[in-house]
Amino acid sequence: MSAARGRGRAATGGPVSAARGRRRAVAGTLLLAVPLLVALVGPVLAGDPAQRGRPFTADGPLGTDFVGRDVLDQLLLGGRSVVGVAVAATALAYLLGVPLGWWSATTRRRWLDELLMRPLDLPLAVPALLLLILLSATAPRGPVTLVLIVALIGLPEVARISRAAALPLAHGPAMEAMRLYRESWWRRAVGYVGRGVRRVLLADAGVRFIGALYLVATASFLGIGVAPDAADWAVMVDRNRAGLALQPWAVVAPALLVVALAVGVNLLTDELVRKGPLLTHTVEKGPLLTTASDGEVGR
Amino acid sequence: MSLPRYATGRLLLGLGQVVGVATLVFVLTEALPGDAAVVIAGDQPDPERIAAVRTALELDRPAWQRYLDWLADLLRGDLGVSLVSGRPVADVLTANAGPTVLLAVLTLLLLVPLAVGVGMLAARREGGRLDRALSATVVGLYAIPEFALAVLLVALFGVHLGWFPPTAVGTGGNLLAQPAVLVLPLVVLLARPVCSLSRLTRAGMIEAAGSAYVAHARRLGVPGHRLWLGHALPNALAPVVQQLARTTDWLLGGVIVVEAVFVVPGLGTALVDAVTARDVPTIQGLCVLVAVVTVTVNLAADLVAFRLAPAAPVAR
Repeated sequence: MSAARGRGRAATGGPVSAARGRRRAVAGTLLLAVPLLVALVGPVLAGDPAQRGRPFTADGPLGTDFVGRDVLDQLLLGGRSVVGVAVAATALAYLLGVPLGWWSATTRRRWLDELLMRPLDLPLAVPALLLLILLSATAPRGPVTLVLIVALIGLPEVARISRAAALPLAHGPAMEAMRLYRESWWRRAVGYVGRGVRRVLLADAGVRFIGALYLVATASFLGIGVAPDAADWAVMVDRNRAGLALQPWAVVAPALLVVALAVGVNLLTDELVRKGPLLTHTVEKGPLLTTASDGEVGR
Repeated sequence: MSLPRYATGRLLLGLGQVVGVATLVFVLTEALPGDAAVVIAGDQPDPERIAAVRTALELDRPAWQRYLDWLADLLRGDLGVSLVSGRPVADVLTANAGPTVLLAVLTLLLLVPLAVGVGMLAARREGGRLDRALSATVVGLYAIPEFALAVLLVALFGVHLGWFPPTAVGTGGNLLAQPAVLVLPLVVLLARPVCSLSRLTRAGMIEAAGSAYVAHARRLGVPGHRLWLGHALPNALAPVVQQLARTTDWLLGGVIVVEAVFVVPGLGTALVDAVTARDVPTIQGLCVLVAVVTVTVNLAADLVAFRLAPAAPVAR
């Protein structure tokens, strides 16, 4: 559904919209570069985090936080967990979800397809944040748990999309021909189907990453699955709110970094999705994609 | 497919989903690693507390017996007793529901006319200034987590400019007594859904306006506004209604965050508190409640969408 609209948009827009698209992609890259640089290089540049002064003063370039640590140092240290957990969770969801969806698409046994995909409908009926809260309430606290949970939440969507993308390829005439020619399993399944779904999955990965980022940041903000004084942008936003009137930078700076990261990724993903028809006609019509496309993407 | 037949099938699916989610909730809270009582007792596991938790959750009985009892209690509306306060979970939920329901209802009331209106305006002038501004805003706003947007708005309008109260502290849960308190939470809750729904309305209107049946109605001499509102809009609205139901998912996450940012004593706050205190019966009760609401809303939306556009492929 969304792919059909995306294509319609690109077709009506013409060359003007292509130029605007390029501008958006550049803006997205710039927006994304700042938080990513801070997250990756920051920990090297940060000073000693154990050094503490008085809370919410104007000492240092961005002042001090709720326990008197330097806000700039905390900013430099705090991106690692947000970005790291989101990236790891997305990667894990793909590592598990793509083979699952692909297996379900390539199998010629109908019951196996049902057996693999039906259980995945269930978590989709529960709001993602609720599932996250429920799972983290019962599991030990820590970044590994958070990665596992967020990956688990993303898994059903990834499996569905890869199944929907692989389905027409796996049962199309080209596949039949390859079977008749006795092409090896590797060339049929990985060489042909794998290459065919690559672009769909790449564009989808951006959407999944935004979803993971949203979940990780929101959970950390709510104090779920992280230590209360962790160096983490979302935790900083939460803990420093008490001093918003005294020292707004301790809240505004990490919040802006989170916003830049989210908007930057979304601008780039949007360009990737718009670039062309990603899904073939049969896939758009397939019943399995209805919830997958209007669930979270929602345009 | 006729409407009653579709409705019956869809209702059965919804019931199955609710039972499935209830089971999932039970299994998840059951699957605590190690001794459940020790884990729930948390950071200070003194023997007394562990024993109390064990009796409260009846952990000595086999899991399937507790599961069946729990389901039977659910059917009667008995959600168990909170481990922290000792009050029945159902009472805790009703006591906290007020502000949450108010926020959700107000958001939905504002959301539908706003989103459909903006979407229709953008569709009338496709490629116009409003259309371009809308598409740029959607891409920007869509990905921003609510808490970041909320604290930025609070920092600017609540603290720096002082236009609106930065939190709901002091209202005691009665938000209507001070309507100014509601402005920032509602803006935060509306930001993402308005974008996605108006985008969808726009796409649906453009698609419907270019379709054969609208062209035919135009040839028959149907006047412009009737063509637009009476013929194009219903078909364009079908996906919007379904997306609106999916928005409950977002809205729920949004409400939890908004209640935390603006210190509103609602269900979201109750949930976060319950999670912090590892109050399992309250968490289970809240999850089942939310699952029932989500499934019901989706069911209703699918039926409305079916009624609006019976020829369209149906969601199962």
